Amino acid sequence: MRELIKKITEISAPSGRELPVQKYILSELENHIDGYKFDNVGNLIVWKKGYSDNPKKLLLDGHADEIGVVITNIDEKGFLRIDPVGGVNPLMLLGTTIRFNDTLGIVSMEGETAKELSENYSKPSFDNLFVDIGVTSKEEALGKVHIGMFGTYNAGYHDLGDKIVSKALDDRIACAIIIQVFKEIRQPENDLYGVFSVQEEVGLVGASVAAFDIKPDMAVAIDVTAYSDTPKTFKRMDINLGNGPAIKVKDKASISDEKVVNALIDSAKSEGIPYQMEVLIFGGTNAAGYQMTASGIKSGTLSIPCRYVHSPHEMVSYADVTNSVKLLKNLALSNNI
Amino acid sequence: MSKYLKDLTELNGASGNEKAVRKYIKEKIENKVDKIIEDPIGNLLAIKYSGNPDAKKLLVMAHMDEVGLMVTSIESDGRLAVQPVGGVDPRVLLGKRVVVGEESLDGIIGYKAIHLQREDFSTPPKWTNIRVEIGCSKKEEAEKKVSVGDYIHFHSKFEEYDNRYIGKAFDDRAGCAVLMELIDNYNEVSFDIYYAFVVQEEVGLRGSGAILKHVKPDALLVFEGTTAGDNPELKEARWSTHLDNGPALSYLQSGYVINEMLFNSIRKTADMNGIPYQMKGRTVGGTDATRAARTYFGVPGAVINVPSRYIHSPVCVISRSDFDNVVELAKKIVSNDDYINALEGWK
Repeated sequence: MRELIKKITEISAPSGRELPVQKYILSELENHIDGYKFDNVGNLIVWKKGYSDNPKKLLLDGHADEIGVVITNIDEKGFLRIDPVGGVNPLMLLGTTIRFNDTLGIVSMEGETAKELSENYSKPSFDNLFVDIGVTSKEEALGKVHIGMFGTYNAGYHDLGDKIVSKALDDRIACAIIIQVFKEIRQPENDLYGVFSVQEEVGLVGASVAAFDIKPDMAVAIDVTAYSDTPKTFKRMDINLGNGPAIKVKDKASISDEKVVNALIDSAKSEGIPYQMEVLIFGGTNAAGYQMTASGIKSGTLSIPCRYVHSPHEMVSYADVTNSVKLLKNLALSNNI
Repeated sequence: MSKYLKDLTELNGASGNEKAVRKYIKEKIENKVDKIIEDPIGNLLAIKYSGNPDAKKLLVMAHMDEVGLMVTSIESDGRLAVQPVGGVDPRVLLGKRVVVGEESLDGIIGYKAIHLQREDFSTPPKWTNIRVEIGCSKKEEAEKKVSVGDYIHFHSKFEEYDNRYIGKAFDDRAGCAVLMELIDNYNEVSFDIYYAFVVQEEVGLRGSGAILKHVKPDALLVFEGTTAGDNPELKEARWSTHLDNGPALSYLQSGYVINEMLFNSIRKTADMNGIPYQMKGRTVGGTDATRAARTYFGVPGAVINVPSRYIHSPVCVISRSDFDNVVELAKKIVSNDDYINALEGWK
């Protein structure tokens, strides 16, 4: 799966501009699905029919979008102003590069005195940072970029052994896991749907509507979660990279359905797959969108512990990834839906 | 001069109290559309059918409500304590006149004199300290005229000079006026057009949610009054929009990235017809397009804005040419099928 993870994370596709990664996903899934469609808001939905006489419907969601930035202003000298697309900490932009298609941008900070510059660096904000794309005029800039153009971190994949580092592991790692589940299951017990949803990072847009026509019996969002295994990190958490996929009980946006939690636990236990239980005191996933769709859908989240989420260098354990694939395969083949 | 803008902005209709606006619009459009529906929560929906049973559906939308205040208690001295309905900065209220309740009683919002202020001179007043004076000196006296739950609206007359319109509630009566102009200038097209005047946008995009399932539109186009923010205290690079630069197009807003194909279709129509436009320079603030994308089966949408200075205050200022250009752009968009067909081949 490493090659798959490298390719899928290196694609630039922020919220609202997911098509490049969705096209790649479709190419990977060729001959592994019974059908696909794009819905009204742009979610890519794929499926495989179950063999049981009365198949239930299991939906697996991974969001296709990643966080990014958008150009809001271009000045006379060709410097850009940007706003965040999703939760981008301006601190993360300093010292890294961003790219708008083929155009590279260097992020720096205003400051008319040394004191002001140092104050701005200690409190970075989108009000006082700017992007330099190496041009000298507005006209030259407009040859490369435009207001309303989206960009992402210019960062790539690094293989550190068990640990994998890349931008956009949130949530391409879930897309890769779902692709792998579809590849490895010849025929599921139940109808299996994969949703590669749009605009999660700006407000769970895709997941709020993707299941309206499908009406699945169970929806599982797969997303990254926080960790507590680095120096002086969150006190009230116990999530460790490499200890297995995390079965979410609760976060700030949703409480996982008990039946979903138990089905995920059973799917792990039946093959001795390591797992950890997760209670996140902040954050939310697409499960919150599915839960409130139509007349309500039993929903939960399987989390991949991930360090440095929303930075250019997110980190996961490869063992957690392959164990997530095994766990979800078991779920799809079970009669627990 | 817009036929409707003056009337619309002088009507009072804070969120949940849109009935006067709804009545006015309904009377003006009644004989011009094929069907009018008032839904159970107060949204007004007007329809022009194409006659084709398989026609696509375009939903154009503006919200009828404005921001305002509500009486929360009548104090022993006959003055009224209030809370905001929608996003109101208490600083814009000081020294202003308001109208109170169904009877439109005169009200005044004052604050302690500058002579008596110390540190509080540099901090915004708290809502708990805002009072509306209606000329009563006792609770019993005020209770005969006002009750808890009464709405309070800004007292503003519509004015025009040079290229400016001044008044309240351009957010979003400007949008309502655009929709009414579209109804007046209807051209036969191959798709059905649903004109939705919705309630309770300012308190959380509430009204639009109900319209969507009824219409099941293929695409949405929202007309909004948006913030200019071209104030001296903000550097130009961080302005949201600038008056006189034309209709403002959104590409990202709170909770939703505007559909790329619909956005491009609007730009193309403006370019082809030589209508000026500007890109919004800020991405905060939501509109009903966010609600539409997240409701039921999801409806893709785009937003065209009339820039307004001092928005959500009793003295908003918009540009006559911006408004006229929004109307022109809107007319071109609904007169051909580029917009409704823009989603074909998207993915």
